[in-house]
Amino acid sequence: MLLIGFSATAHHNGATYFDISTELEHSDATVVSYDLVNPHGRLVYVFMDDEGNEVEWRAELPSANNARRRGLGGDLFRPGDRLTALTGSPSRSGANFMRLTRVLFANGDVAQITGRNAGVVRAGTE
Amino acid sequence: MNPVGRIGLIVTVTAVAIHFTGVAYAQADFEGIWNPQHPPRMGQPDPASVRLTPEGQAEYESYGPDKDPTLRCLMPGIPLGLVDPYPIEIVQQDHQILLLYEHFHQVRRIFMDGREAPDHWLPSIGGYSTGHWEGETLVVRTTLMSPDNYTWTNGFPYSGDEDAYVIERYRRDGDELTFTGEVHDPRYYEEPYVVNGRWNFAPDGEIWEYECIPEFGGIQ
Repeated sequence: MLLIGFSATAHHNGATYFDISTELEHSDATVVSYDLVNPHGRLVYVFMDDEGNEVEWRAELPSANNARRRGLGGDLFRPGDRLTALTGSPSRSGANFMRLTRVLFANGDVAQITGRNAGVVRAGTE
Repeated sequence: MNPVGRIGLIVTVTAVAIHFTGVAYAQADFEGIWNPQHPPRMGQPDPASVRLTPEGQAEYESYGPDKDPTLRCLMPGIPLGLVDPYPIEIVQQDHQILLLYEHFHQVRRIFMDGREAPDHWLPSIGGYSTGHWEGETLVVRTTLMSPDNYTWTNGFPYSGDEDAYVIERYRRDGDELTFTGEVHDPRYYEEPYVVNGRWNFAPDGEIWEYECIPEFGGIQ
């Protein structure tokens, strides 16, 4: 993991756009696309909801510059990757959109997306 | 020339030399790249502590993501861009100090040679900045900022009125650069909005390109 020691990952006030007082968790998801760009990265994924319907969600990541400095690179996700769980704060708009905070990969790796400890922790190294 | 006259001449020459050269030179060394280490909330005040005028409160309450310029890949300018979570590079020249921000490639020129904003200078997103030293503290005054700007991305507004301005104070303590910014905007604020920043000296730091794609700025 690349550690720079920056103090924050987002320029925007997250609470303005997302309800950071709560978190959602989506399980057994599949990556559709991933773009690590400025001003924000974007992950699109699908999963089965409680009714058995496939639903598509988008997740916001930090800017490309800030993510890369934390070792969250453009190869973090690839289309078709299986994700055990994604956690994030929902958009205040009500859309299928959240601010991503944490991802658990099928191999046990964990990507902490936001906060001072952002970075990838490989399975078995914590 | 008698001794008194000679001393007078020396004093005069020295004073002139200080006036035309000395004032332009830095009183502290800020040169180099600095990595952000800002306080919580990006150094912004607790929103509940900000004293808005009724007009400012109305503006604040009308804010939405569609008004955030940075989500549309527009440079934040001043005061919105006073602090951000990216490195800055500072270049000190005799007549100006350059603040080179990674974020949106923003460049600020802080004129240190005593000049004032020229009459033809139009309001702009970054305004017009002049600076001076108070001991080892760099004091910057910025005027002529656009009314399209904001003070922070949670909706704190900026009027761009003629009597609105920003004062910044930078001070170095070892490898730490601390900053306080005061947004003076009597139309919207009962008292100045105060933001704090902190950077760590990064001799091996890097300023990266910040290409921005508006399609990825949408918050919905």
